[in-house]
Amino acid sequence: MSLADFRGEVQAWLRERLDGKFAAVVGTGGPGREHEHVEERKAWEQELARGGWVGLGWPRDAGGRGASIEEQVVFYEEYARAGGPGRINHLGEQLAGPTIAAFGTQEQKDRFLPGILQGTDIWCQGYSEPGAGSDLAAVRTTAVMREDGWHIDGQKVWTSLTQYADWCFVLARSDAGSERHRGLSYLLVPMRQPGVEVRPIVQLTGTSEFNEVFFDDAVTAADNVVGEPGAGWRVAMGTLAFERGVSTLGQQVGFAHDLDQVIAAAISSGAVEHDAVKDQIVEAWAGLQTLRHSALRTLNNDASSSTGVEANVSKLLWANWHQRLGELAMSVQGAAATVVDGDGFSPLQTMFLASRAGTIYGGSNEVQRNIIAERFWGLPKDRA
Amino acid sequence: MTDSADTAELRSTLRGFFEQHAPTRSQLADDPGQWKRLTTELGLTGLAVPEEQGGSGASYVELAVVLEEAGRSLLRAPLLSTAVAAVVLADSDAGDLLPPLLDGSMSAAFVVGDVTVDGDRLTGSVAQVVDAAAAGLLLVTVGDALYAVDAAAATIRSLEALDPTRPLAAVELDGASGRRVGDAAHALDLLHVALAAESVGAARAVLEMTVAYLTVREQFGRPLGSFQALRHRVADLTVELEAATSTVWYAARAAAERAPDLPVVAPLAKATATDAFTHIAGDAIQLHGGIGFTWEHDAHLYFKRAWTTALLHDDARTLRRTAFDRGTRG
Ligand SMILES: Cc1cc2nc3c(=O)[nH]c(=O)nc-3n(C[C@H](O)[C@H](O)[C@H](O)COP(=O)(O)OP(=O)(O)OC[C@H]3O[C@@H](n4cnc5c(N)ncnc54)[C@H](O)[C@@H]3O)c2cc1C
Repeated sequence: MSLADFRGEVQAWLRERLDGKFAAVVGTGGPGREHEHVEERKAWEQELARGGWVGLGWPRDAGGRGASIEEQVVFYEEYARAGGPGRINHLGEQLAGPTIAAFGTQEQKDRFLPGILQGTDIWCQGYSEPGAGSDLAAVRTTAVMREDGWHIDGQKVWTSLTQYADWCFVLARSDAGSERHRGLSYLLVPMRQPGVEVRPIVQLTGTSEFNEVFFDDAVTAADNVVGEPGAGWRVAMGTLAFERGVSTLGQQVGFAHDLDQVIAAAISSGAVEHDAVKDQIVEAWAGLQTLRHSALRTLNNDASSSTGVEANVSKLLWANWHQRLGELAMSVQGAAATVVDGDGFSPLQTMFLASRAGTIYGGSNEVQRNIIAERFWGLPKDRA
Repeated sequence: MTDSADTAELRSTLRGFFEQHAPTRSQLADDPGQWKRLTTELGLTGLAVPEEQGGSGASYVELAVVLEEAGRSLLRAPLLSTAVAAVVLADSDAGDLLPPLLDGSMSAAFVVGDVTVDGDRLTGSVAQVVDAAAAGLLLVTVGDALYAVDAAAATIRSLEALDPTRPLAAVELDGASGRRVGDAAHALDLLHVALAAESVGAARAVLEMTVAYLTVREQFGRPLGSFQALRHRVADLTVELEAATSTVWYAARAAAERAPDLPVVAPLAKATATDAFTHIAGDAIQLHGGIGFTWEHDAHLYFKRAWTTALLHDDARTLRRTAFDRGTRG
């Protein structure tokens, strides 16, 4: 199928549903608005699955569509253009699924991938803890093997979308007394059980995407460990590579929509008449083009042409770009941006606030810079 | 840029060649032997000209790789102007002007400024023209049109340039006879992509030089490169360079394929590349400390090249606006 035909197919499929049965979810569920229309967005995920749009870039033998990079770009572009809602299972589709496909046993693939591809199992990511943020190897949650499986105790924090999740991939210490990267296991844990307690945390957006999660003798089957027990660090890093890789493409395309809104606000407030504001808009637009070129170049690379730090570069680029756009969204509105109208934060206020998270999660800016300095340039570690 | 197997080989050949025959310092003077090697031996001015017109039949992507490598050593020879002129002429019905550009007996320069035409007579003066003094052929923009003019028909006065590696001259046309050879806009797009490629090549070289220095220079009993303030600065420059390189990569492919979005990405590529280059070259001086402020050290040559390239053929702000207007019009 030609790319143009593919685009036509995507457009038609989306239009029929987003103009029809799923009109209510259009434009909902983005960052800072994850609580919106949860049930409808779950149904939407299953509708996407029926259309064959979940696992678009997954390999065919994992049950995916095996779409080319160009096709994935087209899908994300059209999805954003059609106002497709925030994907409630992006952690399942983009992180859990690819990790299980790459590191899991055949039984695990058979057991877990269909639920993701059908949009029925929602996933979350249990890495961070109160004492283990940037320094993830400081994880202290424990996992102990007993007759009936793994028993998990400990606390995770900043865990996104857990309140909706059926499953969580959890990094836990399975070798008692082990330290740092050794002795960790990558466990797949069912969330709907008595040993799991989820407490939403109110974010500066006023909403709760992330949560505290308490594991108090939570249990998962002995087979639900990805990779060897005690060798979970390698798997966890594999997941992070997915997090910093292709999955950002979809999100970037949504940025175009944010930029359009900022431009509309600048026109309606008259700020666009000022040369300095016009320059900032032009710079934001130019930055977005470059983000796209970078994603395309990254995806075009193979092992021999890869710098090894594309994902880190791209993370810094988009997170900073989006944060500047959030600030621009406010400054084009001027003093009017300081008032909250009856219905809570406006979309632009929410975008402004939510854009502070991108430079923290998935490896903060500072962590990304350290990685580039060490891995790309071979600069010595800071001993100060 | 990102290399395919072919361009990787081309790049490594050229890197060896430039390191041997065009080390940075040697760019302060003209070197006729070097120009001969670039043209007759390597055939670089005709690289992106089809074989049936006497060129090597490679694409604009390969030319961009060559110019990145030329940028590394701040090549002074008029390779960029001449190779881009050759691509423009190969695509016009003035192919008869090509042979002297391909065999190295003549170089070309782009004259972009206020020139008017009356019949086929061109009049006007352009204050800063790169590579004009050595050129035998001038490609002159007049509004939307591009004309070829015999350099002998113009008055050309060499200027002392801020950047000693990039010769400048003032060009005066007083009823010089011109021949219409194509559109100005497309030629300028190609020129912008070429300058962008050269800039990211040069920027990468000066950043590598800086990191190498941070690795060996010790203060407070440890290498400077272990201080996080400097590591993070290097990382930020890397991000800027990689981003610009991506846009150049995209634009070079657009030029090779004559893609419809070339008029959008070409000015964007130059703006993005020269922004990265000026920032990196400026920080290179800072991160070298006192030695970076000397005439002796190469850092200032990159710094001067960066700013010169940024200011000639429209600055970044103007180019970004052009790109925006073109990209959002439809
Ligand atoms: C919206 C959001 C959603 C999230 N979702 C999830 C999720 O679903 N699952 C999950 O597991 N986690 C999630 N996280 C957690 C996220 O991964 C962590 O917040 C992040 O890794 C930083 O850890 P921390 O918060 O403990 O900050 P810290 O590590 O304490 O860092 C505090 C500051 O110090 C800086 N810093 C730390 N170490 C260094 C260093 N070596 N050099 C220089 N500076 C340093 C950091 O960059 C940061 O600026 C989420 C976070 C956010 C904001």
